[in-house]
Amino acid sequence: MSTTPRLEVRGVSKTYGAVTALDRVALDVRPGEVHALLGHNGAGKSTMVKVLAGVVRPDAGTVLVDGEEVAPRNPRQARAAGIALVDQELSLVGSLTVEENLALGAPRGSVPDAARLRDVLDRLGLAHVGLRAPVARLTLGEQQLVEIARALSRDARVLILDEPTATLSDAEIAMVFTAVRGMAAEGRSVIYVSHRLGEVLELCQRATVFRDGRAVGTRDVAELDRDSIVEMMLGHVPAGTERPARADDGAAPALRVTGLSVPPRLAGLDLEVRPGEIVGLAGQIGCGASEVLRALAGLEPEAEGRVEVAGRTLRPGRPLRSAAGGVRYTTADRKSDGLFLGHSIARNIVATRLPGCGTAGVLRPAAERRQLAALLELTGIPAARRRLPVGSLSGGNQQKVLVARSLQLEPCHLLLLDEPTRGVDVGGRADIHALVRRAADAGAAVVFASTELDEVLELSDTVVTMFGGRVVARHPRAGLSAARVLADTTHGAPGAAPTPREAVTVA
Amino acid sequence: MSVQTPAPATAGTRPESDPEGRGASRRRRPGPAQVATALFLLLLLAGSLTTEGFYSLSNMTAIANAAAVVGIIAVGATAIVLGGHLFSLSIGTTVAVCAMFFLHVLRFGMVPALALTLLFGAALLGVQGWLVGRFGANPIIVTIGAGALQEGAATWISGGTSVYPPPDAPDFSWLASPLLGVPFPVYVFVVVTVVGEVVLRRTVFGRQLILMGESPQAARSAALPTSRLTVTAFVCAGLTAAVAGVLLGAFNQSGTLTTTGTLTYDSIAAILVGGAAVTGGRGSVLRTAVGALVLAALADMLLLRGYSTPVQLLALGVIVVAVILLNHLTSHDKETR
Repeated sequence: MSTTPRLEVRGVSKTYGAVTALDRVALDVRPGEVHALLGHNGAGKSTMVKVLAGVVRPDAGTVLVDGEEVAPRNPRQARAAGIALVDQELSLVGSLTVEENLALGAPRGSVPDAARLRDVLDRLGLAHVGLRAPVARLTLGEQQLVEIARALSRDARVLILDEPTATLSDAEIAMVFTAVRGMAAEGRSVIYVSHRLGEVLELCQRATVFRDGRAVGTRDVAELDRDSIVEMMLGHVPAGTERPARADDGAAPALRVTGLSVPPRLAGLDLEVRPGEIVGLAGQIGCGASEVLRALAGLEPEAEGRVEVAGRTLRPGRPLRSAAGGVRYTTADRKSDGLFLGHSIARNIVATRLPGCGTAGVLRPAAERRQLAALLELTGIPAARRRLPVGSLSGGNQQKVLVARSLQLEPCHLLLLDEPTRGVDVGGRADIHALVRRAADAGAAVVFASTELDEVLELSDTVVTMFGGRVVARHPRAGLSAARVLADTTHGAPGAAPTPREAVTVA
Repeated sequence: MSVQTPAPATAGTRPESDPEGRGASRRRRPGPAQVATALFLLLLLAGSLTTEGFYSLSNMTAIANAAAVVGIIAVGATAIVLGGHLFSLSIGTTVAVCAMFFLHVLRFGMVPALALTLLFGAALLGVQGWLVGRFGANPIIVTIGAGALQEGAATWISGGTSVYPPPDAPDFSWLASPLLGVPFPVYVFVVVTVVGEVVLRRTVFGRQLILMGESPQAARSAALPTSRLTVTAFVCAGLTAAVAGVLLGAFNQSGTLTTTGTLTYDSIAAILVGGAAVTGGRGSVLRTAVGALVLAALADMLLLRGYSTPVQLLALGVIVVAVILLNHLTSHDKETR
C-alpha cells in the first residue's frame, strides 16, 4: 500500500451475550475519502460506528488512525484521537445559541474562538447563520450542519455521519452533500452510513458492505450499481415460512384508511386490511411507518384523514376511543413508552386488561391470576419469575411481555405492532411471530412496521413499502423478492431519485 | 439490568395481589440502605426509651391524635403523588374552606352536612385534577392558583370573619370527643387509611394509577384512561381534605382560613417520610400513615424532652430531610434501571 490509511480497523470483534455483532471486521479509509458503510439492520454497521466513536469497546481487534493505534474507551478519547461521530439523533440544545452549542462538550479550555467557528460555519455553507442565533430557529438541515460544524471545530480527521439525511428535505440534503465534499477536499476522511443507496452512489468513493456482523467486501463505488449493492447486502435470502393465504378474500376490510397524514412525517396514506391479514409496512427509519401505527392508535393528535376500524370511524388523538374500538397498539420503544420498568412482570403483563379482572372496579385476584397464567403460558415465561422486575428479563422476553399485553383482548379488530422484534434474538423472534400469526388467525387485522427485511418477508401476507413519508408500492408476499423491498425502501421507486413521490394508491 | 429491590422498599414492591408466589425468589442481603434504615429505627427506639413519659397510654393517644388530621389529609394526597402529579400545594386551604363550609351547612342537619362537605371537597380538587389530567396543566401552578382562588372566595363570602355553627345546629361534639378513651379523629384516621390502602391495592383504579405514575407515556400508549385516573386521584385527595375539614371544624367549633397552619407541608412531609417517590409510581397509603405517625412521635419526643419550640422545629426539619434523603437513596434503582 502506497500511503498509510487514515483509519484502519483490524480484526475487530464484539459479541453481546450469544449474539455476534461484529466478527473480525477489517476496514480501511483513505485520507480525503468519503467511505460508505452499508448493510441492513443488524448487519453490524452501527456497532462498528460505536466502536470507532468510543461508545462500545470491542472484545478484540485494533483501530489505527494514521498508523497509530488508538483504543478509545469513551467518546472523549475518540475525539482526542481525531474521530468524531455525528449521530443521527440531533444532540443540539434548542434554546442555546449556535456558538454555545458548538462549545458544548469541548474539552475544558479548548473552546475555539469565534473567528474560527465563523470560518467553520462559512465553509459548511452556513454563512447566513449567526453565531448568536438560537439553534431552535434553524431548519433541521441547518441543525445537522451545525452538528457537523461541532465535529469540524475540534479538528476531526475522521468524521462519521450516521444517517445524516434521514429526516432532511432535498434542499437540506444538498447542503449536507456540499459540506461532505468540502471536508473531503480538505483531506479529511468521512465515513458515511446510510440506507439510501442513491446518496451513496452519488457521494462516496468506496463502500464497505456489512452482513451478519462481517465486512463482506469493500468496493469502489464506480464499479457498483444499486442491484449489485443490494446483492452484496443480502447474500442469500432466507427462506420465509409461508403462511397459507386465508380464504375469506371477500370479507369486508377490518381497517380502511383514506388519506392519512401526519404532517410533516407522513403524507396521504391509503390502506385496507382484511380480518386475518398481516400487512407489513417496510421502510427505513423515518419512512413514516411508525407514524401510521401511532396515528391509528390515536396517539398522533395532528393526524388527518379518515380511519375506519370494523366500520367505526376513529378520531385522531384519542387513544381510549381507539382502544375501545378494538385497536391494540404495541410501541417500538419498550423502554420509553412501552413497559412500566419499575414494576413486576405480572403487573406489566396484565396492565392493559385490569378492568376485565375486576367487578365494579374492584380487582378479583382469581380473575387476575387466571389472566396472568394464560398470558405467561402464551409467552413461555416461567410463572415462577412473574414477580421479578420486568427489566430483569432479556430483551426478547421483555418484548414478549409487551406484545402479550395487546393479545387476547376483546374486542381486537386491529393489532398494531411497531418493530415487533427489535433487539430480540432468533428464537424469541419466532415465538413473537407465532403469537402475531395466531392473533391474525383469530380474526384480527394486523399491521406492523419493521425496518428489518427478513421480518417483513417472514411475517407479512402483504408488504407495503414506504419511503420518505409515502407509500412506494403494495406487494403480495407471494413471489416478492428481498431485493424488490430493499430497492423500494432505499430509493423510493425503481430508478427514482430519493424524493417524496406521489403516493401509490393501494387496494 | 440487575435484580435488586431487597427489603427496604417493603410495601412499595410487595403488595402484589397474588398470594402464591409471596417471597419466592427474593434475595436477602442487607445493603447500606437497610443498615441506615435500621440505624434510624434504633435511634428512634433509643430516643423514645430514654424519654420519660413517652410510653404512657396517654402520650400514645396524644401522638395518634396529633397524627390523625395530617394523616387523613396525607392518605388522600398520596393518590396525587402516586399518579405522578406531584402535590397539591393548597390542600391546607381546602381543609380550612371545607371546615367553614361544613359549619355553615350544618343548618341542614348532620347527614346532609357531611354529604355536602364531602361533595364540596371532591369537587374543589376534582376541577384541579381535570385541568391537570385533561389539559396537561402543571399541578404545582394549578394547585397554588386554586389555593389563592379558594382563599379569596372564602374571605369574600364569609366577609373575612370566622364561620360559626348555626344556633340550631345538630350536636356535633361527638366528632371531637373521645370514644372509649381514644379521640374520634383517630378512628377516622384508621378507617381512612384502611380504605385508602384497599382502594390502592385492590381496585382497577389503584393499580392503573400506580402504573401511570411510573410512566405516563407508557400508560398513554397502553390506552389507560389517564385523564380519568388523574381526576379520580385528585377527588380522593378532596374527599380526605373534606373529612379533615369536618374534624377540624368540629374540634374548633369555628372555621377560619388561619386555623390550618402548616397542614399542607405537614401532609407532604408525611407522604415523603412514608417513602413515596416524588416522581410517582411508588409508595403506599399505609406507609404514608406511618410517616404521619413517625412525624408526630418525633415532635412529641422533642416536646417531652423539653426543647424550646424553635429547637423542636429545627430538629424536626433536620430529621425530615434526613429521612427523605434516606428514602431517596434507597430507591434510586428505579431510575437507574
